[in-house]
Amino acid sequence: MRHPLAPHGYVKWTLVWVVMVLTLTGCWSSRELDELGVAVAIGVDKDEDDRYVLSVQIINPSEVASDAPTTRPPVTLYTTTGDTLFQAFRNMTTHSPRKVYVSQLRMVVLGPEIVNEGVTPALDLLYRNHEFRPTFFVTVARDASVSDILSTLTPYERIPAKKLMDSLIDTEENLGITKSVTIDNLIADVRSNGKEAVLPGILMEGDAATGTSTTNVEKVDAPTKLSIDGLSIFRGDQLVGWLKEEESQGYNYATGTVQSTIETFACDNPGTLSVEILRSNASMDAQLRSGKPTITIRVEVEGNVGEVDCVIDLSDDDKMKDINKKTEEVIEKKINAAINVTQEEYASDIFGFGNVIHRNHPAYWKQIKYDWKSHFSELEVKTDVKVKIRRKGKSTQPLQSEG
Amino acid sequence: MGNHTISPRQFMYLVILFTVGSSILIIPTPTAAMAKQDAWLSVLLPVSAGTLIIWFLSTFGRQLENKTFVEAAIFAFGNWFGRLLSFFYLSFIFILGALVLRNIGDFMTTQIMPDTPLQFTHILFLLVVIFGARQGLEVIGRSSEIFIPWIFLLLFFLFFSISPQINLDNLQPILGGGIKPILSSSLTYLGTPLLEMVIFLMVFPYVKEKKKAGRAWILGALIGGLILTLVTLFSVLVMGSDLTALNAYPSYELAKKINLAGFLEGVEIIVAIIWMLTIFFKLVIIYFACSLGTANFLNMEDYRPLLLPTGMGMVVLSIVAYPDVAYFEAFLGETWFLYALTHGMLLPLIIWAGFMIKRAHTESS
Repeated sequence: MRHPLAPHGYVKWTLVWVVMVLTLTGCWSSRELDELGVAVAIGVDKDEDDRYVLSVQIINPSEVASDAPTTRPPVTLYTTTGDTLFQAFRNMTTHSPRKVYVSQLRMVVLGPEIVNEGVTPALDLLYRNHEFRPTFFVTVARDASVSDILSTLTPYERIPAKKLMDSLIDTEENLGITKSVTIDNLIADVRSNGKEAVLPGILMEGDAATGTSTTNVEKVDAPTKLSIDGLSIFRGDQLVGWLKEEESQGYNYATGTVQSTIETFACDNPGTLSVEILRSNASMDAQLRSGKPTITIRVEVEGNVGEVDCVIDLSDDDKMKDINKKTEEVIEKKINAAINVTQEEYASDIFGFGNVIHRNHPAYWKQIKYDWKSHFSELEVKTDVKVKIRRKGKSTQPLQSEG
Repeated sequence: MGNHTISPRQFMYLVILFTVGSSILIIPTPTAAMAKQDAWLSVLLPVSAGTLIIWFLSTFGRQLENKTFVEAAIFAFGNWFGRLLSFFYLSFIFILGALVLRNIGDFMTTQIMPDTPLQFTHILFLLVVIFGARQGLEVIGRSSEIFIPWIFLLLFFLFFSISPQINLDNLQPILGGGIKPILSSSLTYLGTPLLEMVIFLMVFPYVKEKKKAGRAWILGALIGGLILTLVTLFSVLVMGSDLTALNAYPSYELAKKINLAGFLEGVEIIVAIIWMLTIFFKLVIIYFACSLGTANFLNMEDYRPLLLPTGMGMVVLSIVAYPDVAYFEAFLGETWFLYALTHGMLLPLIIWAGFMIKRAHTESS
């Protein structure tokens, strides 16, 4: 039975019709693919007038997707300025035919001015705006301007931002002299009291003017190249210095982020021996002895004999133990070099020793939390490296040994 | 409405969906801001304590037999005073409904469609809710059976695919800040969703097998609470307490960080189905309870004619309820717990006492 208040059939259908007409007329906030300028890398820096300089590398879809590429470059770089980063983004519309879309962003390159001045103001937009996913990497342009780096065309990989990202990941996984840092890791480290941030550097080799032209990628050996550098040291949100390659490796050993790398040392006989590191593991502990904290870093490394350029009897187990010991010494030296330079030169706790003390001795940490920077330089750090060389590759003995 | 009944199992599903809905967006941020790395404890603690509250509510529900909360209030306190108490109860449900609607609206406009005005998100979402409430409790119960596997599947997908990014260091030091911040931040969970459970006293009369239903209520609240504990735990494990507190929607940020083997990424909108579905069910229950309660209040046979006018009011209230999100954050932190405590605990206690006295009186005479 129909309810007395229920509407008649035609009333009901008219209502449904009206609602559908009102709501299904189109898609609010819809943005089709042909209206988007897909940004893959952005560069942020400041100019002399203290204005933000924003460079955005946008994919040229017709070049990347087409089977018959023309001579036009696969990416386009737009550069604008603005009083704030957001301003600069919107000023971009005067240059770019399409609105910049940043959800597919791979990399942010920070320029020399902004890292000296402090990066926090620039990071806010990159974390607050809903279009950014927190998965892109943040890097620092070393000895080159941001727009020069982002306008360099790369051989082999057509999209420079993708090349940089892939190189960064490969270097991190196979050489261990750098570390990829996503924006949320950076923000967490910058805001933390007990840890300072590090960022990987990007180097440009060669002439900037050549790099921006397609002639750069028409040569077998491209004259202008982009490469990944070691780690930069931050104090608060400002860059204070750079680690050397070995120190960057030492840092990665200490924090357990080395996946694979090569360690080389001199044999007893003339020549060198290289060990391939396959995996590493690290843990840090803080002990309180008579009111003073000590940090112990334990590193466990597993590897193979990789390359032997000297006379050594590899069938002798004692010699293998010797290799273990020498590798341990090399790694320990690298770690200590990294610790020394951060303690003495930069007073920057990039290892997160403060957080280790916080985890192990929260009460003590509360007392020294705000004074941590001065404590850090006097902190005693012990390193304990254990290396296990398991195998020696396909050959049983070095080629130089007598048969 | 006599044929509107749901099984205890369906009721349990509804309790789970109600617990998770909107709290999954609200809970992690304030708990991580106050209790830091112990945020998960400040959810787990009230989950266990909340069992007591649910136990009381379900016992009360069983004693009510087939009376709804509003009917019981009128039965116990008479036409005028009983209606006054019911008015408080109904306004609590109505306001909660508007706030929950605003939660999903704010989320959509912050994270997904910033250019779309709030009103349209609200109206479109509420149209579906009204349709659901119109179909009656039986349909709501059955559709919960269809959707609950999806919720669990998506939750499993979220936890599984984010687990490579877990850093156990983020949890230490456990109890580093002492027990006090945990206790004070656990009030957030007590306020939303635990004390809101009083709404189910409008649904409980339509559940079959009251004894089993009481157990289902407690179990549902426990499962829902554990899901929220896990969401908070994973937020802190992956992002650390500082970033969890910095994010307006940590669970969505968590989904944005999913990256499996370099190709499965950008799937956050699929994970967001979790809160679209749970908030939908939470709103349907609130909506059903609100219009049914109003029908009881007005001595009406059927609650359905009330659905559309209630919805119009709710859309307006959801827009004007608070001017900006900062106001809501402060409201949630300072006001909501006390409001939920008086209406979710004190009011049912008063009505329970009145109901027991009145029943004993009627039986003896």
